[in-house]
Amino acid sequence: MSALNNPVIAVIVSLIIAVGYFTMVDHMLMDMQGLDYWYLFRE
Amino acid sequence: MGSVARKKLLSIMALCAMVGLLLLPIVMALPSPAIGEEAPAVEGEQKEGEKVEKGRDVYYKTEGVVVGAPAPKTVDGPADYPRYNFESRVLIWFANQQHLYYGSFVLAVPIFCMVIEFMGVVTKDKALAKKYDKLAYDFIKISLTAYSLTAVLGGILIFTFLTLYPTFFSYLSGIFRPVMHIYALMFVAESGTLYIYYYGWDKMKEGFLKWIHLSMSVVLNIIGTLLMFLANSWIGFMMSPAGVDEQGRFLGNIWHVIHTALWNPLNLHRILGNMAFGGGVVAAYAAYKFLASRTDEDRAHYDWMGYIAMSLGVAFLIPLPFAGYWLMREVYAYRQQMGITLMGGLLAWLFIIQATMIGILFLSTNYYLWQAMGRMRGAEKYQRYIKYLVFLLACGFMVFITPHTMVMTPAELKAMGGQQHPVLGNYGVMSAKNGGINVIITTTVLSFVWYMRGNKVSTVSWAKFGNIFMGVFFACAYINIIWLAIYGYYIPANVRVGLSVPQVATTLSCLFFMFALNSVMMKGAKQMGPIEWGKISARSQYALIMLATAFTWMMGLMGYIRSSVRLFWHVNEIMRDNSPWAYTHTVGFAANMISANVLFFWISILFVFWLGSLTAKKAPVEEKVGVSGAVPQPAGGH
Repeated sequence: MSALNNPVIAVIVSLIIAVGYFTMVDHMLMDMQGLDYWYLFRE
Repeated sequence: MGSVARKKLLSIMALCAMVGLLLLPIVMALPSPAIGEEAPAVEGEQKEGEKVEKGRDVYYKTEGVVVGAPAPKTVDGPADYPRYNFESRVLIWFANQQHLYYGSFVLAVPIFCMVIEFMGVVTKDKALAKKYDKLAYDFIKISLTAYSLTAVLGGILIFTFLTLYPTFFSYLSGIFRPVMHIYALMFVAESGTLYIYYYGWDKMKEGFLKWIHLSMSVVLNIIGTLLMFLANSWIGFMMSPAGVDEQGRFLGNIWHVIHTALWNPLNLHRILGNMAFGGGVVAAYAAYKFLASRTDEDRAHYDWMGYIAMSLGVAFLIPLPFAGYWLMREVYAYRQQMGITLMGGLLAWLFIIQATMIGILFLSTNYYLWQAMGRMRGAEKYQRYIKYLVFLLACGFMVFITPHTMVMTPAELKAMGGQQHPVLGNYGVMSAKNGGINVIITTTVLSFVWYMRGNKVSTVSWAKFGNIFMGVFFACAYINIIWLAIYGYYIPANVRVGLSVPQVATTLSCLFFMFALNSVMMKGAKQMGPIEWGKISARSQYALIMLATAFTWMMGLMGYIRSSVRLFWHVNEIMRDNSPWAYTHTVGFAANMISANVLFFWISILFVFWLGSLTAKKAPVEEKVGVSGAVPQPAGGH
């Protein structure tokens, strides 16, 4: 836990969790509606 | 039998009677929903001679035996539309709106009362438990006088319908005959329960009896909610009829008539709206009492009351836009044209006004919370960041209220180069507006989190990581909301429409995860100082009054929009409105009418508050007689 209290590590870990979580939310919730979240990137 | 045992027995009997009253209308409805029973008899009679006439349900598409008369074809005249030398629609609008305001208030307040009384019962801190109990009592006291007024206004509404729209009301009551009877019985049950609940407060204030008393509030709220659901079925039927054939003839299935396409979304939207409205009105009451208070003790009590009411109101305000989205989605699914009339056609400008009101609600809430941080030591550390929240709120608000197209003169149109402004026009679409409102709500959640930790310093070993994680999570949430809003411009409409769901999920993630994380971090936290209730600026109280007024105005507006979307129909596509007033009013007229309704409601509710204060003035005199020389306590008995 002491390593996580290092601001740099804390920011990196937090970013990984938050970005990963929101990307998952975006993808999953679009998928559940039968829509493609990555539409623009696939075109 | 001892006095306590007798009290217990009586209270259990009262509770059983309430449950019995609650079940009575249901039991009555079980054997036959009035008209439904007639169906086989009619069938039997007709077997010998005529053919049984069957009809097809306009919504469920099922076949049923016709048991009702067709919807009347009205003509403009004294038979169908008797009138005074005044627009009948305005009269019915006024009667309906006032009844709805009071109805919403008296349905919401007992729910708050139940929650607060429960908090008082389960809390271990005796002083706090007493405070909660007094607060719950204050709440129910306000609603009691309002309850009588609600009943009176309900009577006025029925008489207005009977005298000004007799043919339409006769058709509606023919269809809803069993429902209307059940409604009336439920109302009797609600009144009885409310009075026993209120007058039994002091007699059932401890131990087992308190639990019985609390159970009564549960019964009271179940009855209240069912009452609202039944009333919603009438407006649901008028907007999206079911259970009748295309001529409007009842097909014998009362459940189909109640359970229309829009019934459930309306139920959810109304229950959340009523709660938010009730919270706003009680907060305004507390603000008024705070401003009129002469002692620090009173100020402390009403400051606390205002905060609790505001928090409860806002707790229901936050999910309200999402319930609104669901309602609109169902409206579009039911009739696309109806959705277009609402959001992109005749009534679209009213939605811009609605957006402005929603923005005002959230701005007022945030402003109140920032002001409230002033009463706790240690919250100064957040003051310097508030300007960034103001920036976010202002940006979200401006995007949210930007119209898609402007009303312009030909010269202005030419000068701008089209109906849409080259830059601002981009913000007039749903993609941007979804982003705007989600930014506003997320900022409100952030303000709440700051308020909750204002005077505390976390003592958990991972506090530093927790703080950084919260900051990063909120920052990523904002980026995700804005990213999804921008992304919507680059993908087709059928894909774009789905982006609102992850946007909402982002906002709700902040609400649930950050509140939970904050609570864990603040468990056993070091307090910089107590919350100094009563030491808050007067401006904050005006923000509460603003909040309540905006709620009232918005409720009037949304009711008008929902009702107007039927255009020239009494019952959509079934019974046409042939009165001279079957047209949509101008935005200006509607706004003036809503303002008049709001003004009347506030003047009358001030009268209700004043009546309530008469009882409050009387109480200390009685106390003084009983307990000579006792120092009055803010959280004392009643």
